[in-house]
Amino acid sequence: MTLISSWLGNTPEFAVPFALAALGLIVIEKSGVLALGAEGLMLVGAVIGIGAYLTVGNTPLALLAAMFAASVVSLLFALMVLVMRINQVISGLVLVFFCQGLSTLVGSQFGWVNKPVPGLSEFAVWGLSDLPIIGRIFIQNAVVYLTPLIFLLCVWALYRTTAGLRLRAVGENPQAADAAGIPVLGYRLAAILMGGALIGLAGAFISVLSTKLWIANMTGGRGWIAVALVIFARWSPWRALAGAILFGCIEALIPQLAASGIKLSQYFVFMAPYLITLAVMVWVALSKRDSNSQPGALGSPFIREERI
Amino acid sequence: MFETAVKRPLLSYKFALEIRQQMAWYWQAIILAVSLLVGLFISGAILVAAGVPAGELLNEFVLYTLLDAQSLQSVIFQASPLILVGLAGCLAFRARFWNLGLEGQMIFGAIGATAITIWEVGTPSMRLPLMIVAALVCGLLWAVLPVLLRLKLGVNEIVSTLMLNYVAINFLLHLMYGAWKDPKDAFPYSPKFEVFELLPDVFGGVSLSIPLALVIALVVFWFISLSRAGLYLRFVDQSPRVAQALGVPTARIIFLTVLFSGALAGLAGLMVAAGQEGRLTHSFYVGYGFSGILIAFLARNNPIAATCAALLIATLFVAGRSLQVFYQIPFAMVQLIQAVLVICVASSDFFIRHRIRRIQGGD
Repeated sequence: MTLISSWLGNTPEFAVPFALAALGLIVIEKSGVLALGAEGLMLVGAVIGIGAYLTVGNTPLALLAAMFAASVVSLLFALMVLVMRINQVISGLVLVFFCQGLSTLVGSQFGWVNKPVPGLSEFAVWGLSDLPIIGRIFIQNAVVYLTPLIFLLCVWALYRTTAGLRLRAVGENPQAADAAGIPVLGYRLAAILMGGALIGLAGAFISVLSTKLWIANMTGGRGWIAVALVIFARWSPWRALAGAILFGCIEALIPQLAASGIKLSQYFVFMAPYLITLAVMVWVALSKRDSNSQPGALGSPFIREERI
Repeated sequence: MFETAVKRPLLSYKFALEIRQQMAWYWQAIILAVSLLVGLFISGAILVAAGVPAGELLNEFVLYTLLDAQSLQSVIFQASPLILVGLAGCLAFRARFWNLGLEGQMIFGAIGATAITIWEVGTPSMRLPLMIVAALVCGLLWAVLPVLLRLKLGVNEIVSTLMLNYVAINFLLHLMYGAWKDPKDAFPYSPKFEVFELLPDVFGGVSLSIPLALVIALVVFWFISLSRAGLYLRFVDQSPRVAQALGVPTARIIFLTVLFSGALAGLAGLMVAAGQEGRLTHSFYVGYGFSGILIAFLARNNPIAATCAALLIATLFVAGRSLQVFYQIPFAMVQLIQAVLVICVASSDFFIRHRIRRIQGGD
């Protein structure tokens, strides 16, 4: 019973990075830019979050610094896909390689490896945290509670504001949006910067609040799982949140399995999230419902001079 | 009259971007060379910022790495697995298949070859050929699932191949920390291969791996440029839909090419294990998968150009190792420099394809 209780209690902590990264990706991809760089931006967020904490000693500030740093690095991605019009798949991949190298170099040069940080204190929601079994879910740090609010805000911005409508128009049909006087590249740039900040926060969550220290390449493929999650969620933020919780459950189960004494090579257990991601991709492909939800112009550059 | 003489501030000019139809090949070459130089300059600046003395940098790369006979030998040695992963990338990308699973295929190639040594299959004289076959087959098999999923169900291969990489890495760790650990010490290494299980020297200290890599580069060149499948592949690369309409067996061609790609990556795994390290180690694959993708991109999927690009990246690898030893610069720096080079070269395409014209502003 305590096992299930602590499993459920740990789930949000594992789910939040997936949720934030997937939301960031959705914001970018709604503008028609294929974003594969999540893994890299998360690494940048992770290293800068720890570095900022070790420098200034303030956790909220460290999280903001991580968001800012990931935005700055996404500027490079924006330069590649919006200005230089480099193939978006290549740009995303190169961004990941770039960030992996950069974050490792920066982290080890400044000596941020394996330095523990305190994270944020957890607090209980009054009343709910006393419930049996599921009570443990309601003892979390502030960012966990903020995540649903961030989702609400983003969904509202995407679907209820003029700017959100324009952003989606740019992603569906940039030529038409351009003809209507919407600055296509401006909206795409804004989406890339905001999405980058969210993905950076996801990375900083892993290093500053969850693991509470930094090691090279610590995101270990979670950025790619977020990419898969977006496909699974068919670009809907709420479905992405549900998917993130599902993956959080799976990840939270891994340490529990070890604790419960089930004899299984730990490396096979570590494979589970990736195999399950693969299975989810297959399942999505088999159930070809609603296949039109992908933004219409996803992955194609907008080149005004080639307009007829 | 007066208007033209007056110096106008820059902002009153307008810039127009135009698509360029054609550019002379020598201009293209010049732009490419300049962009590579810019990339190397930025990389140098990063290294200086990371604490390598600027004067030493030139020494490190040119004197110690390229002009020193022994280092040059290790560059060539290092190049052979990189040539193979680069060729693997070229093949897959020609089929419009983003094979990001090169690392996983490499790992399984090396595991297959090591299995032959550990289970002592065959006589000593047969051992190495068997290992090569095992590496090819295991690399190929690890590519089967993603390509089948993509062709039958349309599952995005970028995600599926990457996920399989992580599965392969964990399987390797399982073996290295478990059954295949060298009983002699506590390190996560397999036992050392026997002498007859290593790629032999063919002449003057050059291992068999480099002639093998060059022969395979020629085979891939033949496959892509001269064979019937290569012709079909070019159709598929240009426009899969048109190819399909013309009756090209698109699916079969893609399937075959990706398997070929996986097999080559598997062979690259064997070259690192049996050519360089002499055993299977828990992190031998690091950096190769990405390098393969970047080499293929730099070479625009041309096997001959990929061989040259692999030599460039091999220089980086060797110099990177010595930087790691002498200045504690992490090996990830090699990845960073590769990414910078690719960004610069990819950006040069913009100047080849576009013309920026200044037009006078005003009304």
